[in-house]
Amino acid sequence: MRNAVNAPLQCPSAVGAKQFVGGLSDVVGRWRVDFFAVLANLAAPQPGRRRLLFAMASFRSSFAGHSGYLHRGAFIRLGLAAAGALGGVQSLAADSAAAAKFHRTIEPLLTKYCYDCHGNGLNKGKVSFDEFASDAELLARRDLWLAVLKNVRAGLMPPKEDGDEALRPTEGEVRLLADWIKYDAFGIDPANPDPGHVTARRLNRVEYRNTIRDLMGTEFNAEAEFPPDDTGNGFDNMGEVLTISPLHLEKYLAAAEAIVDRAVPKVGRVMREVSVTGRDFRNEPGGETGNAGGGGGGGGRGGVLSVKRAATVTRKFSVERDDTYKISVELEARGSFDFDPNRCQLICRTDGRELFSELVEWSEKKAISRAVDVEWTAGDHVVSFEVVPMEPVPTPTKPERRIPTDLPVADGAEKAKAAGEEVAAVVAGAADDKAVPGAAPAGAAALVVPRRPPPAQASRLDVAIVSVKLSGPRAKEFWIAPDNHARFFPDGPAPENAAARDAYAAKVLRQFATRAFRRPVDEKKVTQLVQVARSIYTRPDKTFEEGIGRAMMAVLASPRFLFRIEEPEPVAAEAAYAPVDEYSLASRLSYFLWSTMPDEELFDLAQQGQLRKELAAQVQRMLKDPKASQGLVRNFTGQWLQARDIEFVPINARAVLGINTRGQNDNAPRVDFDGPLRKFMRSETEMYFEHVLRDDRSVIELIDSDYTFLNARLATHYGVPNVTGDQLRLVKLPADSPRGGILTQGTFLAVTSNPTRTSPVKRGLFVLENILGTPTPPPPPNVPDLEESKKEIAGREPKLSEVLALHRANALCSSCHQRMDPLGLAFENFNAMGSWRDEEAKQPIDPAGKLITGENFKNVRELKHVLVTERRLDFYRCLTEKMLMYALGRGLDYRDTVAVDTIVDRLVREDGRMSALMTGVIESVPFQKQHAQPSSAVTAISPTQATVAKIESKP
Amino acid sequence: MNHHARSRDLATQRHLALNRRQFLRGLGACLALPVFESALTPMLRAAPAATPATGGLAVTPSGAPLRMAYVYIPNGVHQKNWWPTGEGADFTLSPTLQPLAPVQGSLQVLGGLDHKCADPGNDGAGDHARANATFLTGARARKTDSADIAVGVSVDQIAAQQVGHLTRFPSLELSCDGVRKSGRCDSGYSCAYQYNISWASASTPVAPESNPRLVFERLFGAGAPGERQANFRLRQDTQRSLLDLVLDDAHSLEGRLDRSDKQKLDEYLTGVREIEQRIQRTESFGSLPDPHAETPPEGIPADYGAHMDIMFDLLVMAFQTDSTRISTLLLAGDGTNRPFPQIGIPEGHHYCSHHKTKAELMDKIAQIDLYYMQHFARFLKKMEETKDVDGRTLLQNSMIVYGSGCADGNRHTHSNLPVILAGSGGGALTPGRFVTHGSQPMSNLFLTLNDRMGVKGVTRLGDSSGRLANV
Repeated sequence: MRNAVNAPLQCPSAVGAKQFVGGLSDVVGRWRVDFFAVLANLAAPQPGRRRLLFAMASFRSSFAGHSGYLHRGAFIRLGLAAAGALGGVQSLAADSAAAAKFHRTIEPLLTKYCYDCHGNGLNKGKVSFDEFASDAELLARRDLWLAVLKNVRAGLMPPKEDGDEALRPTEGEVRLLADWIKYDAFGIDPANPDPGHVTARRLNRVEYRNTIRDLMGTEFNAEAEFPPDDTGNGFDNMGEVLTISPLHLEKYLAAAEAIVDRAVPKVGRVMREVSVTGRDFRNEPGGETGNAGGGGGGGGRGGVLSVKRAATVTRKFSVERDDTYKISVELEARGSFDFDPNRCQLICRTDGRELFSELVEWSEKKAISRAVDVEWTAGDHVVSFEVVPMEPVPTPTKPERRIPTDLPVADGAEKAKAAGEEVAAVVAGAADDKAVPGAAPAGAAALVVPRRPPPAQASRLDVAIVSVKLSGPRAKEFWIAPDNHARFFPDGPAPENAAARDAYAAKVLRQFATRAFRRPVDEKKVTQLVQVARSIYTRPDKTFEEGIGRAMMAVLASPRFLFRIEEPEPVAAEAAYAPVDEYSLASRLSYFLWSTMPDEELFDLAQQGQLRKELAAQVQRMLKDPKASQGLVRNFTGQWLQARDIEFVPINARAVLGINTRGQNDNAPRVDFDGPLRKFMRSETEMYFEHVLRDDRSVIELIDSDYTFLNARLATHYGVPNVTGDQLRLVKLPADSPRGGILTQGTFLAVTSNPTRTSPVKRGLFVLENILGTPTPPPPPNVPDLEESKKEIAGREPKLSEVLALHRANALCSSCHQRMDPLGLAFENFNAMGSWRDEEAKQPIDPAGKLITGENFKNVRELKHVLVTERRLDFYRCLTEKMLMYALGRGLDYRDTVAVDTIVDRLVREDGRMSALMTGVIESVPFQKQHAQPSSAVTAISPTQATVAKIESKP
Repeated sequence: MNHHARSRDLATQRHLALNRRQFLRGLGACLALPVFESALTPMLRAAPAATPATGGLAVTPSGAPLRMAYVYIPNGVHQKNWWPTGEGADFTLSPTLQPLAPVQGSLQVLGGLDHKCADPGNDGAGDHARANATFLTGARARKTDSADIAVGVSVDQIAAQQVGHLTRFPSLELSCDGVRKSGRCDSGYSCAYQYNISWASASTPVAPESNPRLVFERLFGAGAPGERQANFRLRQDTQRSLLDLVLDDAHSLEGRLDRSDKQKLDEYLTGVREIEQRIQRTESFGSLPDPHAETPPEGIPADYGAHMDIMFDLLVMAFQTDSTRISTLLLAGDGTNRPFPQIGIPEGHHYCSHHKTKAELMDKIAQIDLYYMQHFARFLKKMEETKDVDGRTLLQNSMIVYGSGCADGNRHTHSNLPVILAGSGGGALTPGRFVTHGSQPMSNLFLTLNDRMGVKGVTRLGDSSGRLANV
């Protein structure tokens, strides 16, 4: 390796160095932490501080002893996740060519642009380009080269200084450097790049729930039943992080049982049933309106009837045969909390003949179930309910006697409260075991007017027709297949013959396991499953369906269902990489876009080997499907933009608005950051992303646009005029509106805030991490206090921006905060709930700032503009990386740089259109290919006979 | 009015206060009873080696089960209000420890225990993730966002490997932190480090359960009291009929998997085997214990204090019925920014913990510490009020560690950690003291407690340098 000795020592300014020597003892003391501040991003640019660091470098030997902090190992661990792992298969020849090219073309570039800080004895941020022990070491430092690539392309390196354009590399030079890094240092073969390895992914909770819905036709609340999934890289679908513990397995077994129990019919034929609710009943023409208000007003619906008014509601049923039918009625008496003396006789009739009659008296809630057999002829029949009001029951004993009349005034409140509780206890007792948190106040209120009966409106009693079910005909020959039977049992009920039953079981289970495993299942597995099923259905007390259900439980608990296990297409023995097979591709597509299993069309195409050929059309179809909204849109925005968190992020509205939370200030305006508002915010972000996705608009609009999705409530919250109604819809914003784009939506603005105030630092970091893709390293330990900075502003409460300005003045903090703060402070006009404000701490807000890359902006509108013009490529790359990680279920490393660049190039070519991103990701090598496995030709290890026998003998 | 309660309702399910009260009343009844016969039987069978001097494997000298639990509090504590004055048996409780007054004689406050592996070292920021991951492992968490997660096997799981066969559940992992923030966790560490304290292997965290009802049903069966036994049996029969098949299925995949995939499959196989063993154990232990309590209502209580109380109560029940002898309870993952509006603190815990010596925030962090302590003290009192099979109290026959992997949350230190060791360990411990141990690895305490549990053959754990003496 060439040594720094030959290179001319570049001393920017000896005078400058001297000026700083005075402060050096201070600097050295802080070096330890400064090291962390600048790690990982090759030293964030600090205009004007280069000289200082030069001076520091001459003291290098004096603090080299702090080896604990200067250890190179720390550096190696940073950068992208797997960058530390050596790829290892570069040939020696390629290595020497790469090194030769480095010395010929790259080293001069580094000398020219980087050695001011990273060469000739300078190693700011522990990076120097001329101290590698050998060419091999130089090429092995992939983490370093990845950081160089990132920082140079993002314009962070070399640091921007005013009037230094001549000192910055040209576009051509940057490309030269980038190409050397990608194709030489990383050794990526553009014709056959390494697709990387995706660890078998366990279905996460969302995917499990959706897969069960599509496979079984039933909802399963995996979020409530399973432990939360751990996340990595900001997403919850990372294969390596989705671990499986015994608790998981226990849950999966229990879930399999519960799901099959609910979804798979236990018999082959059931009596036909028609079930209707009270809302299907009509008021008899000419009859008084019997509605008590719950059933839909006077429009003739009869779900809920007041006991006070005479009314009749009817419903017509048609039957096709003369036979016995069963009518099952579920009613419910629903009383107010307070006793109501009214009562009625409720008479149920069919075709005018009384079936039963029920006395309905006050009760807070009382279910009434009746079932009656009727002989009906083919044709129409009418079921009716008639309310016949009766004399109210005599008024019950009032609680007056409990009211103490001789209490001393001072004591009154206390005793009255005690008495109130007594009353409440009486009432609550009468109300059965209904929840009573509100009971004490109710009792107390009753005390205020103890001698008068409650006003008529205060109490009420209704009877609700919950459901009326008609079952029949009773004769077995007219029975039908139960719900969901055809989904699992394509040929109807099982045949009687034992051999035919087993054959049918094999057919049913083959079909089911194939769908559940998302690829064909081998016959050995089918045989095993049939054995499990047979062990059940051959018992006299069990049905064929129950046996199949048991085998289905085994399928749902199988690793082939719970994990996405992928296989390559067969390829030549010497090939290192192979396309994933069509079944794997179908699953990759459907879990990426829908967060669920492939549908029949995808699966059929995979089966025919036609999916790759039809890829573009299929992606189009899938993106149009509503499942994309529940899948990609919801889960990607939910995590990339953390929109999921809006529903529970702790924000204290009163504290945000500076309303004293302790005092009982009843005059304070009512402020709410409640559930509905939070949900609207989440919907806004989702609908916005979906709009850009479905209309194939430019991803630029994600940052900057003149529209968003609002309803009246959200528009009021944002201060956007003239929006009415509850439905969120596309709203064109006024010309001067600061809104438009995800960064001015409530989701981003609130999830990056603290419970009581905004956090410009978190907002800035969010933009760096999720929009620009250039995160700062985490803060060093022992950060000097914001509060200490605060002390320097005497006499008044400083604005957050002022505190941060002081913080930034601290050399230790400035390198990162210069990057985060201007971004975050640009949003200070939005409070922690995302509402607009003009001042903070009674000082006007100044959102103007300058990015570290040199761009100035006066307000958030201008910032958005900067992000989508000058920083457009950074955003393209960042969004591409996030989308690719989400699609693959793994973190990215140096091997993926070409894949990412290919997609970014496509976005540039196609004006940032969403389709360029989506198709780019789907057509990328990491998505399409995997490592070829020599062992993949081996078929499943056959189970030993012993195992089979054991299974057979199990009950 | 209470915004926070409302917002949490969104994330969890609505919850009826009354049902919870009923549940807790039921528990009260349960706690008044001595340990049940059904629990006694296996325990006595498990204790043949017991001698009066030492006890046996997870058994006290008097023949009762010996239990061990670890309770985690996040973000360290406000130092000034934490440490008692005086030393040895003659010590005065500090403001934060005040709630422990009724059980002061049954616990020791330990000073001078460190988790150096939670220090930044060469890994930079991420003190919260490390504090959490190191707490029971004594090991340094590999800094990674997704690939190759690794820390170490935790003390509870090491013990469970040897003690676990004595009870229906080798160990019970609980948490009061069921809602996860999306996006990234602490400074480049995977969230797995921040939400798990129990690790079955260096790379496999043991997921904790945070839903009280699900914990209950797991322990005692689903349904009304009279149906639980039958429901549980039915479920077990069904599961057993599936295990061979899924096991075979997993084996058939082994041949064609890559290294990281194999690890996933191993996790799966471990789970299957454990369930198999549990089924066998349950059968050998006879009928399912009846906790004489209502099943807890659906969902996670909106009130955090109530959630903690229920989880603590379930822990008491699990110990009392000898369903397990080892448990961990993560009250919240380190770094949590949970606000405490119920005690007038709308700001988040993490925010307050970085109090920067501001009096108002220091006061708030002390209040939060006190809040946690009140709930822990309530738990210890229940443990003390509950009679064990040998006529002593449950607390006497337990070793309960309460503490944090962070010492001072303001400065992210991991030395002189706040640690309380409650219980007498069946006579193996000397409570009623404040003992400072100079500066020793917390892992030394783990080795000592595992010794007391009768766990054999563990010479090192994490960064241990020996056994902790004088406990």
